[in-house]
Amino acid sequence: MTRAIPGAVCTAMALTLLLAGCGGEDEPVDPNAPVTITLAGWSLSSTPEFKTLADGFRATHPNVTVELKEYDAANYDTQMIADLAAGTAPDVYVLKNLKNFYTYQSGGQLLDVSDAGSVLGALPALAPYQVDGKTYAVPYRQDSWVLYYNKDLFDTAKVPHPTGDWTWDDYAAMAKRLTAGLKAAGSTATGAYQHVWQSTAQGFALAQTPGADLLSGDYAYLKPYYQRSLDLQAAGAQPTFGTANTNKLTYQAQFGKQQSAMLLMGTWYVATLLNQRTSGDADTFEWGIAPAPQHDRSTTGTSATPVTFGDPTGMGINPKISKSKVPAAQAFLAYVAGEDAGKALAGIGITPARATAPITETLFALDGVPDDALSKFAYGTHEIRPENPVSRHTTGIQNVLADLHSAVMSDSKSLDEAITEAQARARSEVLTQ
Amino acid sequence: MAATLTRPRPGRSRLVWRNTIAGWSFILPNFVGFALLTLAPVMALFYLAFTNWNVFGVAEWTGLANFRRMWGDASFWTALRNTLYYTVLHIPLTMAAALGLALLLNRRIRGVGFFRTAAFFPYITSIVAIAVVWNQLFSPEYGPVNAFLRAVGVHSPPGWTTSADWSMPAVVIVGTWREMGYYMLLFLAGLQTIPTQLYEAAKIDGATAWQRFRHVTIPGLRPTTFFVVVMLTIGSFKVFDLILVMTEGGPGQSTLVLSQYIYQKGFVENQFGYASAVSIVLFAICFGVTAVQFWINNRRENR
Repeated sequence: MTRAIPGAVCTAMALTLLLAGCGGEDEPVDPNAPVTITLAGWSLSSTPEFKTLADGFRATHPNVTVELKEYDAANYDTQMIADLAAGTAPDVYVLKNLKNFYTYQSGGQLLDVSDAGSVLGALPALAPYQVDGKTYAVPYRQDSWVLYYNKDLFDTAKVPHPTGDWTWDDYAAMAKRLTAGLKAAGSTATGAYQHVWQSTAQGFALAQTPGADLLSGDYAYLKPYYQRSLDLQAAGAQPTFGTANTNKLTYQAQFGKQQSAMLLMGTWYVATLLNQRTSGDADTFEWGIAPAPQHDRSTTGTSATPVTFGDPTGMGINPKISKSKVPAAQAFLAYVAGEDAGKALAGIGITPARATAPITETLFALDGVPDDALSKFAYGTHEIRPENPVSRHTTGIQNVLADLHSAVMSDSKSLDEAITEAQARARSEVLTQ
Repeated sequence: MAATLTRPRPGRSRLVWRNTIAGWSFILPNFVGFALLTLAPVMALFYLAFTNWNVFGVAEWTGLANFRRMWGDASFWTALRNTLYYTVLHIPLTMAAALGLALLLNRRIRGVGFFRTAAFFPYITSIVAIAVVWNQLFSPEYGPVNAFLRAVGVHSPPGWTTSADWSMPAVVIVGTWREMGYYMLLFLAGLQTIPTQLYEAAKIDGATAWQRFRHVTIPGLRPTTFFVVVMLTIGSFKVFDLILVMTEGGPGQSTLVLSQYIYQKGFVENQFGYASAVSIVLFAICFGVTAVQFWINNRRENR
């Protein structure tokens, strides 16, 4: 009986704490008073970008402390949505991907930050965050997909290095040539590795095919991209989707441990590869970056602008923030999308939203990053189209297309059949809802 | 309890009062937890199923719209079909495997404790670890399962989790393997409640081993069997974690089940109203099937 009392007290205390968290406050505004704003991040020990931004901002705004709040990387949006709905979310939070921007914005969970946005000038990655002329978040990262290649394995296979003028057919032919050359040299590596994500085929198809539209309900544009993937896996030029899935292959190990000569991946992988070389999770070898292969010749070569895809990562302000903190939070947003933060991010291998020459130079000055001209071109010059155009239908459509991806890549369904089914589902389950 | 069992007598009412307080204080923390974390969300579910709600803001009352939408939703029917497919395959297989194991390990043989533990082991192993290991075993090109099948003369072994036709059987095999130990334990307990005299009497009457099994073991196990069937039915209808980590519902929609569909609609697409409506259908199915099982069992018992 005596034991039950502490239990009851604990329950009561927990309830009190829960209720106390719901109250809002309204403080008077004083621009020079010390302010603490909270910022959401994930995997803080292995993702240094949040601390870099917080520290960098502190240097110019000594009265503002940015306090980090950790979330789980894999369940970030689920946890954030729950916290926002409960009114316990941090003052500033990250929009990890563009897919959920609609949910946050239409749900009234983003403060109008047009003031912070207006000081940024021309920043292409800002457009997706603007609704009806108002800005609801600012981008601080803008990754794009490029082709990573292992120079050592190209040499082993006696194949010339990429020159930046490949179409997808050139890429496929080269993957086969590499595989044959590597085999002849006694290596078990494959020419290419295509990770199991739907982005690896669909992202390029959507960005590069003229007239392709995710929300049109017409997915015939995916066809040539899947045909090439299926052909490459049938030819043994890349591990099959089944093998990659059942053996839980990681792209980091496939490329980092020299199991494949080419890897299509986002620019975030630069920082990962550098870290893994230091930790020993990746081998040390000569590598380079080339532009992603193109739909046709019109965008190939270093005199043209290659087309690729990638979603920006943005930050927005929780509308439940206390009024006195809004100016500090707006200033922080203007900082993270600006030149100084860009350099700081590039200094740790992260691709900032602002791609100016000095920022690119900072990244390529890092130890272990290739310094050839093609790598710099591939990193700095491209037209980035969004993988997830902002719409209330995007998430639903992407789920339908994810089913298409696994059905086609596992050879469970013919390509035509899978496309017909996806179109029917998109219309009946998503676009008309 | 104390209050109902012992009539309050003069001088003892204080003790009764104290016991009542003690009783309540033991139950209360648990009950408050149950009410807050289980009862309230369940009540909310029945309301949300008739609304359109994306977490933020107020839920908009839409009446039966969610249920009408479900009627024309091909993915919902696919998920329902797959759930039934899993259930119909999983229940008899697990029952047979668990009962077989229980009969085998209900004897006095050397090392029986070890074998019982070994059979129970999968049940306490992390489901993610199980999924990763079995996925590798099922790997179509390099996996030991297909290597074995090829060795015994199967020319084109199935693609298992990478084939739309074989993914569900693959998941059922792993599900059965994982759960048979737990149900074996229930059957073992049931077997031990059957009086040995019955077997001795049957033997004296000249009953064969099959006859003893048919006329002594099976009727003696009826309460256990009933419990196992009910638990397996509910467990199979709401299968989620194993499929999520093994196949994520794929390839295509070949292993998409109802609980995963609910998760997808609710937490991925933020359509909590619609997800609640599908949950209610799943609840109704579980409730209906269990009620029928109780009804059949009661009729048998009263015969």
